[in-house]
Amino acid sequence: MSAVVVDKVTKVFNQGRPDEVVALSEVDLTVADGEFVSLIGPSGCGKSTLLRLIADLIAPTAGTVTVAGKSAGTARKQQEYGIAFQQAGLFEWRTVLRNVELPLELRGMSRARRRARAEEMLALVGLADFAGHYPAQLSGGMQQRVAIARALAVQPPLLLMDEPFGALDEMTRERLQTELLAICAKTGTSTVFVTHSISEAVFLSQRVVVMSARPGRITASIGVALPSRDDAGRQSPAYFDKITEVRRALRGTPVTSPAETR
Amino acid sequence: MRRVLFAAAGLVAFVLLWEGYKLVGNPDGTVLFGVRVLPRADDLSMPHLWTVVRRLGRPELAGGRPVGLVVLRASGFTLGITAVGFAIGALVGLLLAIGMQRFRPVERGLLPYVILSQTVPLVALAPLVAGWNVLWADWMTVALIAAYLAFFPVAVGMLRGLQSPAASGVELMRSYAAGWWRTLVKLRLPAALPYLFPALRLAGAAAVVGAVVGEISTGTRGGIGRLIIEYAREATSDPAKVYTAMLGAALLGLVVAGAVSLLELPLMRHRRHVEVVTL
Repeated sequence: MSAVVVDKVTKVFNQGRPDEVVALSEVDLTVADGEFVSLIGPSGCGKSTLLRLIADLIAPTAGTVTVAGKSAGTARKQQEYGIAFQQAGLFEWRTVLRNVELPLELRGMSRARRRARAEEMLALVGLADFAGHYPAQLSGGMQQRVAIARALAVQPPLLLMDEPFGALDEMTRERLQTELLAICAKTGTSTVFVTHSISEAVFLSQRVVVMSARPGRITASIGVALPSRDDAGRQSPAYFDKITEVRRALRGTPVTSPAETR
Repeated sequence: MRRVLFAAAGLVAFVLLWEGYKLVGNPDGTVLFGVRVLPRADDLSMPHLWTVVRRLGRPELAGGRPVGLVVLRASGFTLGITAVGFAIGALVGLLLAIGMQRFRPVERGLLPYVILSQTVPLVALAPLVAGWNVLWADWMTVALIAAYLAFFPVAVGMLRGLQSPAASGVELMRSYAAGWWRTLVKLRLPAALPYLFPALRLAGAAAVVGAVVGEISTGTRGGIGRLIIEYAREATSDPAKVYTAMLGAALLGLVVAGAVSLLELPLMRHRRHVEVVTL
């Protein structure tokens, strides 16, 4: 069973009004179980819209979205996915631990169990010592890790991320990328990852989906197989080849054969 | 501790200003082109502060209870009315804000009237309210007037607070399949607290004004409003007396503001952390 199936989805904002915008036009996307897929494209290409459609935060104008074999709405109600945005969006009045507990609380999990689970998730992102802190006491990178821990807390089969590292500095970003890969490998989570960074998309993903704007649609789907996903992987020729390939796809000159080596 | 010092410094500054003006000011006031630009500084208009303080200890009339005690009693009576009015006003304001947040048409339809409600002069409204209810006790009418003034800042402030969460927070709650009620309890209400407390402080002050003015215009006995009117009649013979009543009204305002702060302290304790830990 596929984690996500997007079937001929069209999304039009402000339909029938003068400011009508076709955000997505007949988009098809399938994410296999355990697969890490990145959505990349220029601003306004509808990559965030596509993610929100999968999350059932907005409804498609036409077409269907299926998550874990169910309609997107049902999947949302059953908390089949965890989501993280560019802004960590932690609740400042809750401690780090209680922020991670929030989705569990809403699921009606008992106090002791959700506490244990939240502590486990914080350990996973390396913030076990900061459980009692308030978000304002943490740096941006730490807040983002808390947000990831929160997204993982319900142990969802699917993780949706909308430029989660976009606001971070390069060093923190690379470290979190490595951590995210380790977590996904450990938990077997399927991931849809929106980014506008080519290197981030190539490093993280098994497949990079390239989108173009006006109307938003998918122009290329590039499989990525790196020898390893670590610092050595970041310097491998395959990594640079794929970066070139994605860049060309973004510019609208897709290559069918592997690009020349650098 | 610092705040206590600042408050004390403010009091000292006030005493210095008052007595300093009495020292240098013209007893007949300063008149410029036929308009009095500075008030009279004579003992009848501005009694010495120690005269006012001493007046508190002396009997109201020959052989009566000391003025201080009478003022304190009256303040206590008005405090009760203010508290009831404040509670009702805050509750109504809260419910209105929630209603306006929940249903946009309600906000559009109701908000103009909420604002309009405060432009009706209180002195015109108070006798009207007093006229409605033959069954009610006088103090209930006064409490209603206090509530009428108190609900406004809470409704407006709280609406802003409830609308303050970022779209990402609301989407997050939606992703958790949380409905309107749980989003309200877990997200909107806590997010609104920083907006609520300043609004409550305004509402407290408004409730005091409403209670005092309400007492005066309904002729309710026993409260500080009545006392101000009574003592003001004696202002020519006993100028310090009316100031004791005003002192009582000021005290009332302080108590209400203090009560709001007491409520705020435990709830807002963790909202001001600023030091950043980097890792």
